[in-house]
Amino acid sequence: MAAEAERAIAFPTRKLRITFEVGWVLVVLSLFTILTLSQLKPQPFGRILRFLLDGVMVTMGLTVVSFAFILFIGLIGGLGRLSKIPLIYGIATLYVEIIRGIPLMVQLLYIWFALPQLMDIIGFKLKTISAFAGIGQWLIDLKLSPFAAAVMGLSICYGAYMSEIFRAGIESIPKGQMEAARSLGMSYFQAMRYVILPQAFRVILPPIGNEFVALLKDSSLVSVLAVSDLTRRGREYMARTFESLETWTMVALIYLFLTLFFSRLVRIMERRVEFEVK
Amino acid sequence: MSDEIIRIEHLYKRFGHVVALDDVSLSVKRGEVVVIIGPSGAGKSTLLRCINHLEKPDRGTIIVDGIPLTHEKANINKIRAEVGMVFQQFNLFPHLTALENITLAQIVVRKRSRQEAERIAMELLEKVGIPDKAHAYPAQLSGGQQQRVAIARALAMQPKIMLFDEPTSALDPEMIKEVLDVMLQLAREGMTMVVVSHEMGFVKAAADRIIFMDAGKIVEEGTVEQIFNNPREERTKAFLSKILI
Repeated sequence: MAAEAERAIAFPTRKLRITFEVGWVLVVLSLFTILTLSQLKPQPFGRILRFLLDGVMVTMGLTVVSFAFILFIGLIGGLGRLSKIPLIYGIATLYVEIIRGIPLMVQLLYIWFALPQLMDIIGFKLKTISAFAGIGQWLIDLKLSPFAAAVMGLSICYGAYMSEIFRAGIESIPKGQMEAARSLGMSYFQAMRYVILPQAFRVILPPIGNEFVALLKDSSLVSVLAVSDLTRRGREYMARTFESLETWTMVALIYLFLTLFFSRLVRIMERRVEFEVK
Repeated sequence: MSDEIIRIEHLYKRFGHVVALDDVSLSVKRGEVVVIIGPSGAGKSTLLRCINHLEKPDRGTIIVDGIPLTHEKANINKIRAEVGMVFQQFNLFPHLTALENITLAQIVVRKRSRQEAERIAMELLEKVGIPDKAHAYPAQLSGGQQQRVAIARALAMQPKIMLFDEPTSALDPEMIKEVLDVMLQLAREGMTMVVVSHEMGFVKAAADRIIFMDAGKIVEEGTVEQIFNNPREERTKAFLSKILI
């Protein structure tokens, strides 16, 4: 049994080390290309880079803030999908199925353009009922900022996918674990918190990391909502100078660097968790 | 307070079309060691799992230490803390060390301080003979060691009853004895135990009463002497002839 465990640990280590180094080479290479271009040809590359940096910050901020919401929604949604209470299971399933059936772009456009109208309609209806007049007026007055709308759209969409990841992770833990915890007198939530989720988290860490990287790329879609993210800054610069090739080369390189970099971070986290489990 | 600690009356349980328990009634006295034997699918494990409500019976009453086991959550959690359970597959928490496996429920459920929980855990690891494995993870322990940690984990809650669901069936032969020794010691100390097991050495040494189950019913019960030497029922005889080679 011990020898088996040793083999199981030793084998992936060797495999990981190779991909690990190739990965970092790519990260350095993409960063090197960005810096070389902007140093050797400051006109236009240096200027483009400086113009885009604001957008990089917005893209990162958007991704990180959304991801926090996504993890929260994923946990609640995943537990909901496993609930034995039909109403909770039904709501969670409806949410996941509806959201996964609509393209992210359409969801973002819906939240930005259609939702305000919908809220106006509901608001005016509510105002006719005296008891809900306050809520009605609040709905009519409510205006989401572009950033808030973008966070909302990304969170709702990715939350549905994350719910399925959490559900699969929790389901992958043997039933005996919950039974053992319950037989020691723990409540359902105590068992989840101390026994099931810590184990499930190790299982789902790789897919969670992939979701983060995918979110980073998909966040470029929010440029349709007047959020000045990396992609929108690129469009603004191009519109001003018509240097299409240079602008989009720079934008693509920056995205490439970010995604390669975060993929590496995810891989490091995976490795550390793998070793802890033993 | 009577000396009866478990009282089960007219218990029924079915899984789809399979009848697992068919009108089972049973009473266990404080300090008694009851061993349940029978062919697989007889309902032994289901009966055990009903006692701490891991299975929900369809009908019938279970009273543990004076508390009726209704479907109210408060009662169920109260009873579970009084009833320790040891599983065939150990079910240790693989992400925690042996010591943490034993302290977790003490801290979370019994609200003990970490120091006190660790002191109790170390005493119990001493008792089951593996204090040197306190900081090992389950994957680093042999099956026998894992099962002994699982017993210590259940004992840490200071239960009034211990349930054992085929505790040695998943073990290599050379590890069975170390687990049975711990169980024998518990029996001698006067722990109330309900054990599903076919380890005849343990049964003969520790059982106050043997219950033979088949097809969801209790066919026959009696002392070791009665069941092994003078079984009344044909089915009991047939079953014993297969396991007593």
